[in-house]
Amino acid sequence: MKVRLVKKILEANDRIAENNRKRLADAGVYTMNLMSAPGAGKTTLLQRTIKALDGRIRFGVIEGDIQGTHDAEVISALNVPVIQINTEGACHLDANMISDILPEMPLNAIDILVIENVGNLVCPAEFDVGEEIKVMLLSITEGEDKPLKYPLMFQKSEVLILNKIDLAPYLDVDMEKIKSDAMALNPGLQIFEISCKSGQGLDAWFAWLEDKVKVSA
Amino acid sequence: MHELSIAVNILDIVASTCREQGYSTVRAVRIKVGNAAGIMTDALAFSFDCAKSGTVAEGAALDIDEVPVGGACSDCGSDFTVDEPYVFNCPGCGGTAFRISSGHELEIVELEVD
Repeated sequence: MKVRLVKKILEANDRIAENNRKRLADAGVYTMNLMSAPGAGKTTLLQRTIKALDGRIRFGVIEGDIQGTHDAEVISALNVPVIQINTEGACHLDANMISDILPEMPLNAIDILVIENVGNLVCPAEFDVGEEIKVMLLSITEGEDKPLKYPLMFQKSEVLILNKIDLAPYLDVDMEKIKSDAMALNPGLQIFEISCKSGQGLDAWFAWLEDKVKVSA
Repeated sequence: MHELSIAVNILDIVASTCREQGYSTVRAVRIKVGNAAGIMTDALAFSFDCAKSGTVAEGAALDIDEVPVGGACSDCGSDFTVDEPYVFNCPGCGGTAFRISSGHELEIVELEVD
């Protein structure tokens, strides 16, 4: 016997994500899902951002990694609440993992929750975790072919941060192609060009983020 | 790599449907996967076969209907599909005033059960 059944496969995840979104919004917390390939600079960007906005925005951080607590230790040193999730092999965070640990996050003591996803340009794009905004980071050392090789993440993100631009003189990478392909995939994309090492471009990112968090509060 | 999570989600939905409706055996699960959904169908089929043992879908085949990315252009009025997982310009007129209508599907459409 054949049974018709139109059901979204990620429906369970989407339902939990929606619930997370509501819990976070009710607590007045702006939530960002920060995604990139491994080594693009998510944790370093987060460090710089937390330091720069110290006293202006209160951060909470969830660190997603396959294993280890390195990133959580780095963030914890900045005196912000941080929870490490070890996925033990899974290549992305899902809504359930966030839902489980949300009670441990002091939501009334933070303005923004940054969920640093597992380093991966593919899978995290697929799973809603309950964020208000998806931000992706691409280091220009990764090459100009990435938007067309990993279109989903570029389409789902509202913000693309190009990191390590201080290395541009030493690379053959075509920055204009990265930007034009990314914009063609997602015409509404907001792009920042930064270097966490030299500090170039970071002020514009800090100002934009502070504004976003304040508007949402 | 996230194909295994997707396979487990499929099996969860199948199991709860069988419980609710009283089916004891699943012979086949038909799903729709868009080309822009970010899913490798070979990896999904493999993950499904690994994860199904011990479930109500233990003997089930996974039939995958792949859906190309398609859209409708409001400039030239054409409906189109493309081979790539994205569209930059309408293949009919080269314009950008199009709306994507397919290619992001990830759903179960049919079960064959006893």
